[in-house]
Amino acid sequence: MNGLNTLVLAATSDGGLGSVIKDLLNKASVPQIFVPLMAIGLIVALLTYRTWTRPAIAGLLALAAIAFYVWSATDENFFKIIVKPDNVPITIMLTATAIVTWLAFRQAAINDARMERGEPLIESGADDKVLVWPDLVYTEMICLVLCSIALIVWAILLKAPLEPAANPTNIPNPSKAPWYFLGLQELLVYFDPWIAGVLLPGFIILGLVALPYIDKNPRGNGYYTFSQRKMVIWVFMFGWVIMWVVLIVLGTFLRGPNWNIFGPYETWDSHRPAALLNVNVSDLFWVVLPEKTGLWSPGLPKNAVAGIPAMFIREAPGIVLLGGYFFILPVILAKSVLSKLFKDLGLIRYAVFWLLMSWMMLVPIKMVLRWLFNLKYFMALTEWFLNV
Amino acid sequence: MAKKQLVTKVWIEPGCIICDACETTAPDVFEVQHENDTCVIRPAALDAEFNKPRTKAIIDAAEECPVDVIKFDTIEIEVSDAEAAADAAKAPAAASAAGAGAAAAKLEPPKPKEVDPAIQALLAATTVRGGHVVLDRGLEDMPESVRRMAKLSPSELPPDARQAKVLDKSKADTKKEPEGASRRDILGVAGMAAGWAAVATVTGGGTLAFARFMAPNVLEVEDPKVRCGPLSKYVAMAPGDVNEDYKPVKPSGFWIIRQEDRIAALSIICTHLGCIPSWLPNDRKFKCPCHGSGFKENGVNFEGPAPRPLERFKIYLDGDEVIVDRSRKFLAMGPSDTAVWNDPEAYIPV
Repeated sequence: MNGLNTLVLAATSDGGLGSVIKDLLNKASVPQIFVPLMAIGLIVALLTYRTWTRPAIAGLLALAAIAFYVWSATDENFFKIIVKPDNVPITIMLTATAIVTWLAFRQAAINDARMERGEPLIESGADDKVLVWPDLVYTEMICLVLCSIALIVWAILLKAPLEPAANPTNIPNPSKAPWYFLGLQELLVYFDPWIAGVLLPGFIILGLVALPYIDKNPRGNGYYTFSQRKMVIWVFMFGWVIMWVVLIVLGTFLRGPNWNIFGPYETWDSHRPAALLNVNVSDLFWVVLPEKTGLWSPGLPKNAVAGIPAMFIREAPGIVLLGGYFFILPVILAKSVLSKLFKDLGLIRYAVFWLLMSWMMLVPIKMVLRWLFNLKYFMALTEWFLNV
Repeated sequence: MAKKQLVTKVWIEPGCIICDACETTAPDVFEVQHENDTCVIRPAALDAEFNKPRTKAIIDAAEECPVDVIKFDTIEIEVSDAEAAADAAKAPAAASAAGAGAAAAKLEPPKPKEVDPAIQALLAATTVRGGHVVLDRGLEDMPESVRRMAKLSPSELPPDARQAKVLDKSKADTKKEPEGASRRDILGVAGMAAGWAAVATVTGGGTLAFARFMAPNVLEVEDPKVRCGPLSKYVAMAPGDVNEDYKPVKPSGFWIIRQEDRIAALSIICTHLGCIPSWLPNDRKFKCPCHGSGFKENGVNFEGPAPRPLERFKIYLDGDEVIVDRSRKFLAMGPSDTAVWNDPEAYIPV
C-alpha cells in the first residue's frame, strides 16, 4: 500500500517520475518520432496478432491504456484538450477503434489456428438467420432507445462547441476542422488544397470501391482470417490506422497554436518561436547542391531554353523524380518484387492498383521528407496550381 | 395399340385446408378428419391394385383440389384399340354407377361436383396486399377452418400452390368488377393527383429555394478604394513594422507594411487555402492558424504549405493621403518571383 502511494505520488507530483515520463512523451511527439513509433506499433501488433488478441493480454493492454489515459488526464494541458466538446468524440473513436480491431483480429487468430489444425471455422455451421419479428425489430428498437438516451445525455452535458461570429481580427488559433476531418487537414499541410482536399479523399473512396476489382481473392469471404489475406489486411491497416486514425490523433493532441507541434502535456503557447524554412526540390537542385559542390552556378533558372518555359526547367528535377515514381518505379517493381502480383492482376488492374497505391504511399513519403528535410514540394508549378 | 394411365399411388402433401372436396369426389380413397384438422388416405388406398380402377376419380379429385396438394403416381399400360374405345364409352356409366354404389354404401346422396362453400368463403375472405395474400375480410362469418387459417403465421400457411390459386381468384374478381368508375378508381386517381401535386410542390419549392440560395446575398458593392490617412503615419513606422488597422475592412482586409524603401498593402488572405494569418510581432512573421503557413514581414512565404507570397494591393497617394485600391492585385508566383512588386502602382516609395 505504501509502495502504491509512493508510486501514485511520484506519478502525479511535479519533478517526480511523472514529469520525467511526460517530458519523454512530449519529446517523442514530434511527428518524425511519433508517426514512425505508431507504424512500428502497428507492425508489431500485426506480427503478433495471435498473442495480444488473447482476452487476458488484450484486457491487460486495455487496462494499461485506460490507466495511462486517466493518469494523463491529471495533467492540466492534456485535460484541457480532452474535455473540449469537439474532442470528446475522439476518445470514443479511439476506444471504438481498439475494440473493433481487437474483435476482428481475435476471430481471425482463432480461425487461423483452427485452419492450421484442420478444424472447422467459427462461422461454419453458424445459423445466423434471425426472424425479423420479433428478434430484429426488438434489437433495433433497443438500439434506437439506447442511442437516443446517449445522444440526449451527451447533448445536455456538453455544450455545442459553437463559436462567435467570424471576425477577421479574432481568429481561433489554431483553427481546427471537425475532428473527423483532422486527418485531411493534416494532409493540407503537405499538399496543394486541390490534391489534399479533393484528389486524395477521392482516391480513398475510389480505392475502397475498386477493392473487389483489384483483389478478387475469394478467400476470407464470410469468415475472419488474417493468414489468408495478409497483403490486403496489411495495406488496409496501414492506410486506416496510420493515415487516418493516427493523423486525427496528431491533429487533435499535437497540433497547437500557429499549427505548430506541441507535446500532449505542453502548454499551448502561441508565441513559442518555431522557425522552419521549407525548400522545394528545385531549390535543392539549383541552389543548395551547386553551393555545396560547385558543379554549376547557383540560382534558379529564369529564362526559357529552346522554347521550354523557365518554370519547367526550374522544376525539371522534381518532374523527373515524380515521373520516375509514378511511371518507371511500377515497371521496375512489376519486373522484380511484384512480378507475381503483376502476373495475377494483368496490366490494367496493375495500373489501377499502382495509381491508388502510389498516391497512398506519396503521403507518408512527403510527410517524412517534410519533417526531416523541410521539403516543401517536389514540383512547384505555382503558375498552374500544380504543387506536388 | 393405345395407352392408358393407371394410378398406383396417391398421397397428400402438406398444405391441405380440409375442404371435403376430395372426399366428395373419391370417398373410398380420401378421408377428411375434421376432428384432427387433417385429411388422410384411407388404408385401403395404399394398395396400387385398389387404386388402379379408381384412376379417374383420383385424378378428378387431384384436379379439383383447390390447393393442389393431392399428388399421385401413374403407370402406363398398353391396351388394344377396342378396349380403349370400350373404356371411353363406358366411363360415364361407370362413374355414375360408382357414385350410386357409394351413395348406397354410405347412405348419403351424392353431392354435386361443385366447389366447397368453405373454399368459396376462403377465397372471398382473401385479399392481395403488397404482393402477399392476406386473409382479413369478414372473418366472423367464415367457417371455422378459414378462421383458423387466418390466425396462422405465414410460415405455417400452405405454400405457393394455394397462393397462386388465390391470386388467380382475386384477379378474376377484379375483372368481374362493373364497368365505369368505381369508388376505388376515383380514390386512386385522386390519391395519385394529390401525390404528384405534393412532389411538384416540393420540387418546385426546392428549386426556387435553391435559386434564392445561389443568388448573391450581398446587395451593395463595397468601394474597393480605402482611404488610409496621411502618409506621414506610415513613414513614421520602423522598417519591417506592420499596420493592422485595416485588417477588418470588408470585404477583404489588408496590412500596410513599412519596408526600407517603400510602403505596400498586403492582402490578409493566406495563399494556401484562404484562412487569415496572424501577425506575430515577436517572430516577425505572419502565421496561418489553419495549416501553419508562414510569411515573412514582406509577405514572402517561407514555411508551411503556402505556395505563393501574400498578394499585394494597388496603393497610391492622393495628395498626402494613402489610398489602397483592392480592385487591382499583384500576384508573385514564388519567393524568388517577386518582380511584379516593383510595379510603380504596387508601392509608395518613401
